Formats: sequence, structure tokens, C-alpha cells
Amino acid sequence: MRILLVEDEPTLRAQLREALMAAGYAVDEADNGRDAQYLGETEAFDAVVLDLGLPVVDGLTVLQRWRDAGRTVPVLILTARDNWNEKVAGIDAGADDYLTKPFHWEELLARLRALIRRAAGQASPVLRCGPLQLDTRSGRVAIDGQPVVLTSHEFKVLAYLMHRPGAVVSRTELTEHLYAQDFDRDSNTIEVFVGRLRKKLPPGLIETARGLGYRLAAP
Amino acid sequence: MTPGLRPGSLRLRLLGATLVTLALALTGAHVWLGGLFRDHVLRQFDSGLVQQLDQLTARLLLDAQGQPQIDPGRLSDPRWARPYSGLYWQLDALSADGQSRRGVLRSRSLWDAELRLSADALADGALHSHDSTGPQGEALRVVERSLQLAEQPQARWRLMVAADTREALAAVNDFNGVLAASLGALGLLLALAALAQVAVGLAPLRALQGALQRVREGRAPRLEGRFPVEVQPLIDDFNGVLDRNAQVVERARTQAGNLAHALKTPLAVLENAARQSPDPTLAPLVTEQVALAHRHIHWHLARARAAATGRLPGQRTPLAPLLDGLLRVMDKLHAARALDIDGGDVPADWAFAGEEQDLQEMLGNLLDNACRSARTALRVRVQREGAQLHLAVDDDGPGIAPAQRAAVLQRGVRLDESQPGSGLGLAIVVELAALYGGALTLEDSDLGGLSARLTLPAAA
Repeated sequence: MRILLVEDEPTLRAQLREALMAAGYAVDEADNGRDAQYLGETEAFDAVVLDLGLPVVDGLTVLQRWRDAGRTVPVLILTARDNWNEKVAGIDAGADDYLTKPFHWEELLARLRALIRRAAGQASPVLRCGPLQLDTRSGRVAIDGQPVVLTSHEFKVLAYLMHRPGAVVSRTELTEHLYAQDFDRDSNTIEVFVGRLRKKLPPGLIETARGLGYRLAAP
Repeated sequence: MTPGLRPGSLRLRLLGATLVTLALALTGAHVWLGGLFRDHVLRQFDSGLVQQLDQLTARLLLDAQGQPQIDPGRLSDPRWARPYSGLYWQLDALSADGQSRRGVLRSRSLWDAELRLSADALADGALHSHDSTGPQGEALRVVERSLQLAEQPQARWRLMVAADTREALAAVNDFNGVLAASLGALGLLLALAALAQVAVGLAPLRALQGALQRVREGRAPRLEGRFPVEVQPLIDDFNGVLDRNAQVVERARTQAGNLAHALKTPLAVLENAARQSPDPTLAPLVTEQVALAHRHIHWHLARARAAATGRLPGQRTPLAPLLDGLLRVMDKLHAARALDIDGGDVPADWAFAGEEQDLQEMLGNLLDNACRSARTALRVRVQREGAQLHLAVDDDGPGIAPAQRAAVLQRGVRLDESQPGSGLGLAIVVELAALYGGALTLEDSDLGGLSARLTLPAAA
């Protein structure tokens, strides 16, 4: 899952980046509204963490411009502005959640997970597909209740597919959502991870739609 | 009494001065014109009598015995002959010693009465007029002249003509009546004109009153409309004060907000850094102290804002749109809990007599608390009783035991430390409600959880 982190305070941004990466997210950053708007309009993110008091263009305007342009990416506003009228303005501008500083990491991560899940149409924090079960809160994967040990990259590929059961996901889409912008992207590595996953999971769970991509299907 | 006619009101002063002046002027005009007419009528009357006297004087002859004679047959007016007709003449003889012999000759109309005039020293031929009483008690106007005849120079005569003034005075009275009616009608018209003038002249003041009312009720931030040049400077100054007041409040609020925002990001950085420290005692200490600092910021920010705006006149916040906005926020903030939120139906014209952000802070905190504790559902109900709004936020959560309710309304008390939140929500609601003369009470809800009931002043 790929997150756009927009925060102008460098120390807090670094802390947020570390924490998000530790939680398994690919993180792109912007420290002003103009860059944030550009990234949001040109790159594919699974969620955005958006500060409001930004240089150049303020966060609320960036959010409104994304929504006006039809970008539906889930946005969590993370700001020091905690008046209710500011929350109403944020939600009405198109935010999906609103968290005020100072915040607890657990709450920020829980809210991000829930946002991404809801955006994919998944209501429960535990995703299921046939015998396969993935707990988004703990990051544990199990088959018929038996834990499966996955590497972090294998987990990211599986989590992305499990958020979209039955849908064909192209390698390009997987690449876009699993790596940050400045990462050296090579879609062949995706094939490697999918191959390893297939060995650890029941056969037939990850189908290949030839020329299109992969699909997670319950047998 | 209409509102504009209270003692000391401009309307009463203007109307009073105008009407009193009008009454004095019209009464004066009546007296003056009536007097003029009466003088004119009496002069006419007297000149008629003088003519009669001249005619009689011309008819006065001495007979062979030296006795004066006036031949009644040669007098044209028939009233001389009709008894008590109201037109009389009489000739008195004046002797040298000043004694007079009354009624030497009389008109037939006098019958057997005679005119009694006080003694009068008259130059020869001079005319005198008197008011007297006739044979039937009627008021008479008498014109007399003293005569000496050439044939009898030693004898002096006093010839007088008298006429009843009733008819003439009746004409004067008629005229006075007509004059009074005309002046009365004129007075009425002028009074109406004065009323209209006062109404038109004071209309801008009524508009000003309306504008002030709108400001007081919070429907307008400043006095609106154009006013006459005499009043406009006052309006401009007043609006200037209102604007400056609003600016000061806004600046104070912005500065308090800026300070709070500026502090929060460093606090977040500090807390995160402490968590990564290898010293295991540092993180809890910093987390606790950061939370404390955050509570102070939150509490004083809310208080500073409320103190800046709580007592400003003329505030009005419509309830329905504000509640809708907060419910949209609750929908998103607590989306994971999939709560059934019943916002009820609030009439569009119900409004809170206070500042928007204060109501948002109170209602937002109550709704947020309810969303956190509700199991599946919460409900908002608003009722209006006279000048008060009763807001009730109910949830189906675990509720709060009656013994603990007083404690949670105090600053900084949190029953559930596992839940995020500053622990100031309810205390801030209590503080803000008190600023507006309202109150917050906690009760059992029929939904099974807590019912938070907030009473606030309603705006007109």
C-alpha cells in the first residue's frame, strides 16, 4: 500500500515516514501544497495523510482540487487545527477522516488501515478469501487457522490483492501501489514475489489473467 | 400609548410643541377676527342709527307754542310706529341748570316707556353712543345728540335714537360660530399635517431602531441602510466600533489559535522522539507531560475564545445547518463503528443566541462523546421552550453511573483512559454553557446509555 504524506514540519514528517514504513507502507512525501497536489493528481496512492497548514497552497485547497478533479483517494487530515468548524470544513472539502495533533501512533495507523479497507469496500479488519485470512491490524496471515510466515514484500502483494478479491490487478498497478515514486521500479520483481506467494498458499488462489495481471479468487 | 409616544420621546416633544403652538395661534386668530367683525358690525349699526338720528334731527320743528314737534307721518321706517319694535327715539329737554325733562317727545314704538340715559355733558351737535336697556329689557344701542334750535336758542334738547342690538349680535355670533368651525377644521388639517411630518421626519429613526434590533438579534453584523445626513455620522461611528470590536475578537481568537497550533506540532514531534528513545522511562514521562500540555492548550484556547465572544451582543447561530455539519463529521470520524445516528428534525428558524464556534464546541464534544460510547446508535433531539433550547444527545452505550456524573463534568477527568480524548470535553461544555446562562446535565437515556442534556438561550 502506498501513502502520500504531506507535512511541512521536517522532524514530524521524518517521524511519520519512519512509522508508516515500519507499518509496511510505501511512502511518498510532499512538504508543500503545490507538490502535494501534483503528486496526488499524477500518482496512484491508497491513502493520503494531509496536513492543513501548508506553504504555497493550503491543505484544504489541495484536497478540494483533488476532489474537483475526480480523485477519490481516501484522505486523512492530520492537523493541529482542532476546532469543530475546521473539522466540518475539512470533511465537507472531501476528507474521509480527521485526526488532530498531538496524536497516538496506534490511532493514526488504525485509522489509515480502516480508510484503505473501506475504500476497497471491505468492512471487517480481517480480510478473508476462501481458507485464507489476513488480519490488517496485526499483519498476520493464516490458512485454515494455521499461521503462514511471509516476508514483508510477499505480505504487501497479498494484502493489496486481498483488498480487491475477484478483481484483476495488473503488474503495473501492483508496482505503483507497492513502491514509492523514487524507488527503482521493476515489474519483474512482482513476478518473483507472486511466484513465492503461490508456493506458500493453496494452489489456484492467485490466478494469472494472461496479459492483464493477477486475480485473487476463492476456490 | 404607542411605543413612540412615551413621555420624553422625540415624537411626543415634536407633536406636543407643534400642537400647542397650533392651538394658541388658532385661538388667537379666532379672538382677533371675531373682535374685528364685531367692531365692524357695531360700527355699521351705529352709522345706521346716526342716519336715523340725522333724519329725526331734520324733522324736529317748533310749533306755534314753541313746543318741539316731530311729525310721525314723515318718518319712513314702520318700526317707529310699531310698539316695542326695537327701534325708538326720544327727545329730552335740557334746562339751563342741567336738569332734564325726559321724554318730551317719544316714538310711538316706545309706547308708554321712556329711555333712561345717564346725564351727559354734550357739546352742541356732538354725537355720543351708549349701551342701555330697552322697555322690554332688551339690550339697546343708543346714539344721542344735543341740539339747540335757531328759533329758540335758550332751549337745549337731547335727541336720542335707540335700536335693539340682538340681531346684529346674533350675526356676530353666527360669524363666530362659522369662524370657530373653519379654524377648527384648519387646526385638524394642520394637526394631521404635523403628525405626518413627525412620522416622515422620524421614519429614519424607526429604521435605525430596526437596524439596531437586527444587530442585537444577531441577524446583521452592523447597522445597515442609508440614513439622513444628520444621523449618518452616528451610524458610521457605531459601525466602526462594531467592526473594530469584531476585528479585535477575531484577532485575539486567531492569535490564540495560532499559538495553540504552533505548540501542537512540536509536542507531537517530542512525543514521537521520546518513544524511540532507548531510555524506557522517557517515553511514558514525555507522553504524560505532552498530554498534560495538550489539555492545557485545549482548555485555555476554548476559554479564551469563549471569553472573547461570550458576551458580545447580537449573536445568532442557526441550529440545523450546524448540527448537520457536525453529524457529517461524526459520520466520517466514527465510520468504522457503523453507528446508527438519528439527527432528528430541527426547524430551520431555530437558532442559538450565541457564537457559532461555541455551539460547535459544545455540541461537537457531546456528539463525539456519544459516538465513542455508543454501542450501535445515538440520537439527537432539540426542543424549544420560550427563549430556551433543550438539546439532548442520547446513546446506547454503557452510560455513566450517577455517582460518577459530577466528577466527569470536572476539568480533566476521564473515566476511560484507554479511549483517546483530552478528558476536557464535558468540562468545556459546562464552562461554555455557563457563559451563556445555560447548563449541562447527565441523565439515564431510554436508549440504555447516557443522555446529555444541554440547555441554551434561543435566539429570536
